[in-house]
Amino acid sequence: MTSYRLNQGGLVDRATTLDFTFDGRSFTGHAGDTLASALLANGQRLVGRSFKYHRPRGILTAGAAEPNALMTIGSGGRTEPNTRATMQELYAGLEAVSQNRWPSLDRDVGALNSLLSPFLGAGFYYKTFMWPAAFWEKLYEPFIRKAAGLGRATYEADPDAYEKVWAHCDLLVVGSGPAGLSSALTAGRAGLRVILADEHHALGGSLLSETAVIDGVSAPEFSARCVEELRSLPNVRLLPRTTVLGWFDSNVFGALERVQKHVAVPAANRPVERFWRIAAKHAILATGAEERPLVFGGNDTPGVMTATAMRSYLNRFGVAPGKKVAIFTTNNSGYALGSDLESAGVALTAIIDSRADGPAYSGQARIIRNAVVTDAFGGKSLTSIRIKHDGRFETMDVDALGMSGGFSPVIHLALHRGGKAQWSDERAAFLAPDDLKGIALAGSVTGAGNIAESVAQGSTQAAGLASMMGKSAAAMSASVEGEMENRPSRPLWFIPDVIGKAFVDFQNDVHRADLKLAAQEGYGHVELAKRYTTNGMATDQGKLSNVNAIGLLAQARGLSPAEVGTTTFRPFYTPVSFGALSGASKGKHFQPVRKSPLHDWAAKHGAVFVDTGLWYRSAWFPREGETAWRESVDREVLNVRSNAGLCDVSMLGKIEITGRDATTFVDRVYANGFAKLPVGKARYGLMLREDGMIYDDGTTSRLGENRYYMTTTTAYAAPVMSHLEFCAQALWPELDVRLASVTDQWAQMAIAGPKARTILQGIVDEDISEAAFGFLAAREVSLFGGKLTGMLFRISFSGELAYEIAVPAGYGESVADALMALGEPHGICAYGVEALGVMRVEKGFITHSEINGTVTPADVGLGKMVSRTKQDFIGKQMLSREGLSHPSRLRLAGVMPLDPAHTFKGGAHILSKGAEATLENDQGYVTSYAWSPTLQSPIALALIVNGPDRHGEEVVVWNGLLNEFTPARICDPVFFDPANEKLHA
Amino acid sequence: MPDLIHRPALTKEPLVGERIRLAPMPEGTLLEVRGPQAELPALEAAADAAGLVIRTNGPDQWFAISGQPMLRLDLPDIFSVTDQSHGRVRIAMEGAAVDDVLAKGMAVDLFDFKIGAATTALIGHITTHIARLDRDRFELTVLRSFAESLWHDLETMSAEFLDR
Amino acid sequence: MASLITCPHCGQRPKEEFAIKGAALARPAPDAPQGEWYDYVFLRTNPRGRYEEYWHHVSGCRRWLVVTRDTASHAVEDCRDAAERAPT
Ligand SMILES: [Zn+2]
Repeated sequence: MTSYRLNQGGLVDRATTLDFTFDGRSFTGHAGDTLASALLANGQRLVGRSFKYHRPRGILTAGAAEPNALMTIGSGGRTEPNTRATMQELYAGLEAVSQNRWPSLDRDVGALNSLLSPFLGAGFYYKTFMWPAAFWEKLYEPFIRKAAGLGRATYEADPDAYEKVWAHCDLLVVGSGPAGLSSALTAGRAGLRVILADEHHALGGSLLSETAVIDGVSAPEFSARCVEELRSLPNVRLLPRTTVLGWFDSNVFGALERVQKHVAVPAANRPVERFWRIAAKHAILATGAEERPLVFGGNDTPGVMTATAMRSYLNRFGVAPGKKVAIFTTNNSGYALGSDLESAGVALTAIIDSRADGPAYSGQARIIRNAVVTDAFGGKSLTSIRIKHDGRFETMDVDALGMSGGFSPVIHLALHRGGKAQWSDERAAFLAPDDLKGIALAGSVTGAGNIAESVAQGSTQAAGLASMMGKSAAAMSASVEGEMENRPSRPLWFIPDVIGKAFVDFQNDVHRADLKLAAQEGYGHVELAKRYTTNGMATDQGKLSNVNAIGLLAQARGLSPAEVGTTTFRPFYTPVSFGALSGASKGKHFQPVRKSPLHDWAAKHGAVFVDTGLWYRSAWFPREGETAWRESVDREVLNVRSNAGLCDVSMLGKIEITGRDATTFVDRVYANGFAKLPVGKARYGLMLREDGMIYDDGTTSRLGENRYYMTTTTAYAAPVMSHLEFCAQALWPELDVRLASVTDQWAQMAIAGPKARTILQGIVDEDISEAAFGFLAAREVSLFGGKLTGMLFRISFSGELAYEIAVPAGYGESVADALMALGEPHGICAYGVEALGVMRVEKGFITHSEINGTVTPADVGLGKMVSRTKQDFIGKQMLSREGLSHPSRLRLAGVMPLDPAHTFKGGAHILSKGAEATLENDQGYVTSYAWSPTLQSPIALALIVNGPDRHGEEVVVWNGLLNEFTPARICDPVFFDPANEKLHA
Repeated sequence: MPDLIHRPALTKEPLVGERIRLAPMPEGTLLEVRGPQAELPALEAAADAAGLVIRTNGPDQWFAISGQPMLRLDLPDIFSVTDQSHGRVRIAMEGAAVDDVLAKGMAVDLFDFKIGAATTALIGHITTHIARLDRDRFELTVLRSFAESLWHDLETMSAEFLDR
Repeated sequence: MASLITCPHCGQRPKEEFAIKGAALARPAPDAPQGEWYDYVFLRTNPRGRYEEYWHHVSGCRRWLVVTRDTASHAVEDCRDAAERAPT
């Protein structure tokens, strides 16, 4: 293996050697290397296979736009595909594997696709795989899936941590080249809160690859001094390894920091990636410019590279691009490279300039003007190029070729909020529009041609912002020697006499002929051409290819690039891992868990918990010997109906309503009347939406003249609170009413069953006999001989003699323990939400299974509750719509199978006996289903056409998913104790 | 009569690092007070007399707080007082890294958040009331049912600063 | 939609702290003709441009706000407490 590492120069630490592997082979590099520079130093040119044709590919760039050198890094759960080797810092033990090849990078079967290339041109998906239709699923799609695709994601869980973080600043500077550093320094010195972010691990941007002398020191040294000063300023935050990848509304920027992607085993207490949301008062984009490839035959041959990249590997990493180099350029960038190569002692054969009037060049290399490279040859490694000049062709043996098709300013961020790029003939580039708010641009992203201009621009922009914020800033300038003045290039879109495939989009294998074909076939519009050819649709989003594609489309259609325009620029600038997007929200942090104050009580009684929204609710309490959940539930139901049970209902929404107009307010938010509810009483309330449909239900107790305690369902606790706040603040701000959510203040339990009163009396100091504390009584009570104050409500969701008692949450478990102890001789049991559900179905009580947004009070048999006398309540006006009282509406009824051994499911549909299962014959559907241990039969609630008038009718319950037809009978929805005798026992 | 035991929502040992310390606070008295902003001086005087500290919680709403349980606050009818002593849990958070830790969950710009300021904001997915008691000291108040989840989140957010 | 909303009570906050109800229409009088009610409950304009909406600062001060924003540019023109808004 030949070493291409130069003996001196560059910013790598030659004293520190790092071992790494590529495709299983061992290599070494140095601290400060990227994976790409280390591979090049080792002479490893072939680094991947192309997407469609599986052509051998090498490293093309030295930065974020890299389309070829995509690798899988790491192993196990840390496997990360499609990592750009040009952005990956080298570390000891790094394992990199090439992609898109089989069985090996060197011998790849997929390369046969190249032979099929006449059939794989633009639009080939649409043309080739259209018929026969049956082939799609069986043949074409599996084939495409196998052949296509870049790296493979791992199936193992990612062991690493990620996090999201907010930051705020006066000025965000994106990019740390000359303009970025001068912006940050100027603003930082003026006292602004500054964040400077750069995607590379070393700050300095293009200065790190520059050989010019700035203020008397080398460019890297100049940059190091700037960074050092920035680091000393407490109001400046430096974010290296951080890609700012989106500009969002309100001047919020998204940025991805690779915190620990440069170590073999990340520290567990820190994230590997951090997603920043940066709220910036202003931002300066000093994002630089991307050098464009030139579109000649075989321009994808390993050994061909952009001139800037070559210069970066040479100057920053001390790596020679080859032993015999040529440069093909349309601008002065090629001469800067040429001069640096010759200074470093690398043999430079020729500079091939498409222009007639290149700059003076003092080196040894042959300068060929008015010339183009038509083709590069060599397959897996460049061996020669074919040049056309003066009307003739010449072949030149070289092993490396630098190319420069001109520079495209990296304006992506500036366009993320809908702005359109403007073509500039003068700069031969798309520029950001000049009416941007919240961001300014500085440096080569504006088309600035040299370091001094960039420094001045950055400083001027920052000083302007500082003075706008009332701070005075001193402008900064730099004197630069030895820099190649870079005048704009003359674009060279189309190179004549090309023999081989001339690639435009390297990553998606789109070549010049594809674009021509797209234009010919009527897909020349830039957005259509993108979809038709897939140009710009790969993970690099066309950073290198889009402008060349636009130039070629313009040429093919006889337009200017300005008329062709660009496709839409969208976040993210570079791909973002799902890990970073989810941040810490995974595993137990995926969403918060709400725990009832009686959680531990339930747990010690063996509760099985079920997620209900964010709550953990006790579902049932299995006892020894019980193997199926229903055994436990049946036992709990029967025990409550014959003895007593205790159920945690703390998660019901609880709202305290106070204020002078509390009564008026409660009366307006419920459909039934509350104005006459006496103090000390509870009432069932029905809340409607403005369209007349039921919104929620619950009980509300009047605890004082102007003090109400409202309960809501668990599911609607938060929405009802918001709704009440809306009514109080937006609809009726003139009412004096205050709302406080007290859901978390109270541990609330239901004690139900014939023995409930006896048990409860054991802790309540006041008399709670039928006479003293009758049905719907609701009062503050003294407990445990005055040790505690709670609230007691005589309400029932089971049809039994029942109470709900609320005690301060911290005492909940103690009170529950006391009740269980007192209840033990009476056979009390803990019961869960499943038993609660069974008992409410037995009693025909509704929940949100029935209140599904389509039912009115009349639909569920509560029409008579609705007040006729109130002048106003939420839902009153729309409830009176004629259609809402039509007899054909679905209304609540009970359903039981004729044979209790038969079952059906919630959601099953009702058909008239003998009717076919068609939409027209649909008679309604089952909303709630339960096995009733009391009735020893399945029972169900259903919404049925004209249900209340059809009790006794035989129907069929149809489960379309299982195609089951169950004979059943419509009945009263109150299955148990319709006379409510037990309630008042 | 059985013994009445008060069980705190958070039974966690403090988390300690050189630059961050987290600890559950005793569940004392926390009253939610609503009334007209103009009457704040009256509220503050009454709270002071009762040994309670007033913290703002949005327009026309405050918390009256003490580490002592069962404190009462007698106010004219123009105010509504709701006992939330069991419904809210307080967590103390302090150290030089406290701003950096909170920034991992919260979008409030703490640079402008002065000593004595208080507000309600999202920390991750959990609505939390935060009060800055000193440059490096905050108190977080959260719904009881969310307390454990918030604690877990704060622990994750603090991880890089903890002694482990 | 804006990324940050300046609540008149709490200052600049991220959109995650808010819930949006929709058009900030004035509720008709109880005795208004049914047509007016029908429009209030069901009819919405869908303008490209200026739009007034009810936003709720759920994870903040819990006040309902009227946010005036541009549906195309996402710029927020105004944000005020719903109780202070004169009925239109
Ligand atoms: Zn607010």
